[in-house]
Amino acid sequence: MSEREQANILMVDDQPGKLMSYEAILKDLGENLIQARSASEALDCLLHNDVAVVLMDVSMPEMDGFELADMIRHHPRFQKLAIIFISAVHLTDLDRIKAYQSGAVDYISVPVVPELLRAKVSVFAELHRKNRQLERLNRELEDRVAERTEQLRQSEDQLRERADLLELATEAIFVRDMDGILLYWNSGAETLYGWHRQEVLGKPIHVILKTRFPVEFDEVQGVLARTGKWNGTLVQFTRDGQEVTVACRKALKAGGSAILEINRDITAQLKAEDALRKTERLAAMGRVAGIIAHEINNPLEAITNTFYLLRDNPSLDTEARYLAQLGEQELLRVAHITRQTLGFYRESQSPVDVAIPDLLDEILELQSRRIEFGNVVLEKRYRSRGTIRGFPVELKQVFLNLLGNAVQAMPEGGKLRLHVFESTSLGHRRPDVRIRICDTGVGIEAEHAKHLFEPFFTTKSAKGTGLGLWISRGIIQKYGGSIRFRSASFKGMKMTCFQVTLPDVDVPASLETTPAAPGATALAGVSNAG
Amino acid sequence: MRGDGITILCVDDEETPRIVRALMLRSRGYNVIAAASAAEALKALEHGAIDLILSDQMMPAMSGTELTKLVKATYPRIPVILISGMNEVPADALDADAFIPKLGGPELLFTTIREVLILYRLME
Repeated sequence: MSEREQANILMVDDQPGKLMSYEAILKDLGENLIQARSASEALDCLLHNDVAVVLMDVSMPEMDGFELADMIRHHPRFQKLAIIFISAVHLTDLDRIKAYQSGAVDYISVPVVPELLRAKVSVFAELHRKNRQLERLNRELEDRVAERTEQLRQSEDQLRERADLLELATEAIFVRDMDGILLYWNSGAETLYGWHRQEVLGKPIHVILKTRFPVEFDEVQGVLARTGKWNGTLVQFTRDGQEVTVACRKALKAGGSAILEINRDITAQLKAEDALRKTERLAAMGRVAGIIAHEINNPLEAITNTFYLLRDNPSLDTEARYLAQLGEQELLRVAHITRQTLGFYRESQSPVDVAIPDLLDEILELQSRRIEFGNVVLEKRYRSRGTIRGFPVELKQVFLNLLGNAVQAMPEGGKLRLHVFESTSLGHRRPDVRIRICDTGVGIEAEHAKHLFEPFFTTKSAKGTGLGLWISRGIIQKYGGSIRFRSASFKGMKMTCFQVTLPDVDVPASLETTPAAPGATALAGVSNAG
Repeated sequence: MRGDGITILCVDDEETPRIVRALMLRSRGYNVIAAASAAEALKALEHGAIDLILSDQMMPAMSGTELTKLVKATYPRIPVILISGMNEVPADALDADAFIPKLGGPELLFTTIREVLILYRLME
């Protein structure tokens, strides 16, 4: 050991000669020798140095060795300090020395044998050194343990923070292995999909969610393997069967052992965008309608007038008159659709009381031939007088359209149910009038249902204009009402119900003041659209 | 009621509709004076002998309702009927005695003229 640490050896004696002789004996040990002439000097030295062993004469004038030893031992730091007494061999001394059994205590009798003293001091010095080394190692070990503990605590904090973050996230976050087996599932995922952690962990997650990928799954896997990530939109199903659209980010975990997926629900967002697009389209349609109205109506009037004059012109022969009539007829069709799309007129300037049942009966009268010949059974239930303030022609158009659609939906015959009743909506003082029109016809396909109220949507190909329901809804909304429908099949029989709700409130004043020409019938036409 | 002796001032900036509408009116026995603008119409009024004005609403320079206001201020006893191809009714349409759509067809036109004339005759 080249870097052996020197141990401090304290030699206490009142006679300088003796101290010098001990020093001479111990010099060769290579330790650090400290001399003290008195007990107080010795104590002072002990307090300021890390002493390995104390060598002391039992008999000193000021304070004898035993007294000093007692004092030393009372100090907690020095309870295990090695002490070698140097004494003439008296029995009494030996007995007293034995009383120190617990500590490292030895004695040497006078005359001192140098080898013996050296050996004893050397043993204690070495023992001290070993102790110190052990202590140091211990301390180091403790430090290292503390350090490691702190590291662990920090990474644990980090993990907990990360876990908290994962749990706080509103996104659905989960980890699956390369076989699609779910390893982790955060609360965001529980909220979005309705599946509890325990129910799905360890299961093939995309099978459970019935995930529809926008591209082939192999392609997704390919991109993941190549680039380590994949982004796209997925369609999935929640636990209660609801379809959700999610923006998905997938990332391959380092080492390629698992895939992290973060899915954000964008269903509502897409719906809002869809609605906005629809609204924008309708607004654009309105603007276009205004422009078209002027450009079409002007020549249309001129042509209509021309045919009117032509028809009665005496110079025409029979064939020419027939042709003029054909032209006039076709022109009526154009005028009809133009009136429906671009017209605005009302038959009277201010709204009147309209009894819905009377209005319906009037329309049924108009349709009576179709109903009779069409083998349609009519069932009327008027539970209300159903009077609202409005414009009869507009309302007639709405119900002519709905009833016409219902009858047309039953080419093989069926049952037409008409139901008028009252019901009070939340926030309305007076009850609403509700009109329900149900048929047992061909029904409405699910994919058509979404577009039913859109302009130019028709299922009747050449026969329909695709405007009937669009215009009807426009009129109903103007009255502050609503129109809903439901199509269902039960035991092989299909049933389609339209329900119109009209609040029993006055039409807003702004609508009343709009002037209209007497006798104008622009909205009176019937649409065949569905 | 035939239009014997009744003179209608027919105003429209578009030539063909104006000509055809005038022919229509003549076929019912009305005398017709045609004007291609509101300014022309006002000039024609100065020569007198107009029983009714039938004007297009949407015209450049001066619209039908603007013309109506001027006519009503100077000739309160001459009825004005406006005919429009627009799908919006202007706020001041009520200044005219009637405001009808071009899409109303010939019968609506004739009926309206007759009704307005009867109304004015009754008021005299």
